[in-house]
Amino acid sequence: MDIVVCVKTNPDLELVRVKDRVAQTEGVPYKIGDLEKNALEAAVTLRESGAASNVTALCVAEGNRKAAEDIKVALAMGADEAVVIDDPALAEPDQAAVAAVIAAAVRKLSACDLLLFGEGSSDNYTGQVGARVAELLDLPQIGYARTVEAEGDVVRCERSMDDVIETVQAPLPAAVTVVSEVNEPRIPGLMQIMKAKSKPLQVWSLADLDIEAPVPVREIESNLAEEQDRKHIVFEGTAAEQAEAFVDALIREGVLGR
Amino acid sequence: MESVECIVVGGGLAGLSAAYGLAEAGLEVMVLERGDYSGAKNVTGGRLYVKPIRGFYPELWDEAPFERPVARELVTMMADGAHTTVEIASDRFLEGGPQSYTVVRAKLDQWLADKVMEKGAMVVPNMKVDELLRKDGRVIGIRAGGDEIGADVVVVAEGVLRLLSSAAGLAAQPQPRHHALGYKEVIELPAGVIEDRWHLNPGEGAAQLFMGDCTRGMMGGAFLYTNKESIALGMVVGMEDMRRRRDGTESWQLLDAFKELPQIRPLIAGGTAAEYSAHAVPEGGITQVPRLAGDGYVVAGDTAGLSFNALVTVRGMDFAVASGYYAAEAIKKAKAAGDCSAAGLASYEQSLRSSFVLRDLETARNIPGVMENPRLFTHYPAAVGRLLESVYTVGEQPQAGLVKKAWNGVRRDFLSLATLRDAWSMRKI
Repeated sequence: MDIVVCVKTNPDLELVRVKDRVAQTEGVPYKIGDLEKNALEAAVTLRESGAASNVTALCVAEGNRKAAEDIKVALAMGADEAVVIDDPALAEPDQAAVAAVIAAAVRKLSACDLLLFGEGSSDNYTGQVGARVAELLDLPQIGYARTVEAEGDVVRCERSMDDVIETVQAPLPAAVTVVSEVNEPRIPGLMQIMKAKSKPLQVWSLADLDIEAPVPVREIESNLAEEQDRKHIVFEGTAAEQAEAFVDALIREGVLGR
Repeated sequence: MESVECIVVGGGLAGLSAAYGLAEAGLEVMVLERGDYSGAKNVTGGRLYVKPIRGFYPELWDEAPFERPVARELVTMMADGAHTTVEIASDRFLEGGPQSYTVVRAKLDQWLADKVMEKGAMVVPNMKVDELLRKDGRVIGIRAGGDEIGADVVVVAEGVLRLLSSAAGLAAQPQPRHHALGYKEVIELPAGVIEDRWHLNPGEGAAQLFMGDCTRGMMGGAFLYTNKESIALGMVVGMEDMRRRRDGTESWQLLDAFKELPQIRPLIAGGTAAEYSAHAVPEGGITQVPRLAGDGYVVAGDTAGLSFNALVTVRGMDFAVASGYYAAEAIKKAKAAGDCSAAGLASYEQSLRSSFVLRDLETARNIPGVMENPRLFTHYPAAVGRLLESVYTVGEQPQAGLVKKAWNGVRRDFLSLATLRDAWSMRKI
């Protein structure tokens, strides 16, 4: 069984500062997302148990110019090979574009029986890409997986729902998105990092995938409440007088009695 | 045991400079950096003198992400309530390429790490080395976590604390009296505001050092360097002096009090504190430089004690780059001769001895001793302030003549046995 793990890199959130309500990502190194590490660990565990024979880490660079360097962490964690799709047209793709690129890359890869994702990325956590890819490739999808077992032609997962745990089985090939309970990702040692250097790593462009550059559709409307200065009104008098003055002020502001 | 040709412990300026030269020569190099990235753990808020190192890897420095070339130098002597600032602005500081730049190490070191990787070296961040492996007195590799990796040569550029090199017996354990505590804030200010407050042309920078009252008599001083859109404002205080202090003063209180001074407050008004950090600074001078090379290893940068504080010029980063460069040169020679023993690596020390690194440190041999004189941080800044204050004072009473005022000040504060003694002790700095 061949596993493909889709891995997103994002700026290291612990190092991102917010200034004037804007995240400052300049100079912040990228790293592999947390749930993607869970997905990698799940894949490598399956291979180590003999249930899988090959693990490929697949990464859409999404503007990370060092993606081909950063993905080596996946190789150090135990992936057998890595593919990075890096193209200037993919600097800031939306979820549909990323899914289209991943679907095309999976088709190009010779074999993929199980496609693993993190449930959502560490930065935006839209949780869309796994489901979108499953749809594009017409694969059954299991979301919120807290266990992943593969046996013969099926994958079996426990799904972590709010108040119940569902056990679901799907025929392979299938797509599974995992949550953090699935495992504790390993931290690769120096030896693994050294060995990762000689593992196969390919960088593809959109031309290699033979697909059109996606047209990014991106309209961001902030849903943050507008910032307001405090009014610095201090009410004096007895409690009753203060309350009265306070209510009057609220009515004047249009907060009450509309 | 798996092995590579060269392991560099520490991805700062010394380690990366060594790795750059080694990788450029086609040697197999692995840099192990403890921080999230090169520069992540660095606290330097300061400046790099580039003139001494321009000859090493000349292709690098023109594109390095420096902050501002230093066009103005300011030294402020602080007494209680009276500050005397000497400002030196010289066209010569910028002629033929600026002599120094302010730097933000998180940027500079990451950039240099990228350059090192482009040359083919491996730079592994988040990798703490636990031990230098030794066999029959020879350094044969390192242990990191559960993994032992061998190397023909280990470049020990682990920084000032010498955790590994002192444990392996390659260098003395750092002592408080040879070190200072450096700590700083990075305060963000718009570029235009920085240029207005320090009277700078667009893009140019200033460096300001303060001595005297700010350290309350302890060895050290305060510093201020202008970055592109922030300033690094901090202090360096002798650890031994700090340790001996019995009044409960904490280092951060000194900096807080400094920032509140009426002379300093307007400089940082409206700024946003973005970082606060602290680090040990080697100040022991040449007497604290350990043996620089032995069987299977060389020591570079702060680990080798290559830095000095000469009151108005504070240097270390240029020494780090130079020591990395010469380490790479020596290792290349040793590898070519197939002899990575102390004898094979001996050219490292020879190069440092004939270069500015150990020559400047030798010239500065007596500075650490002189700096132990507390009058440098109490009496003199106050005396200069008193003298000039009296010269500039116009009061109700008829004034003494200018020369008389000055003479009174000189006689009161400078013509004494103590000053003569101080002058004698300073004759060799």
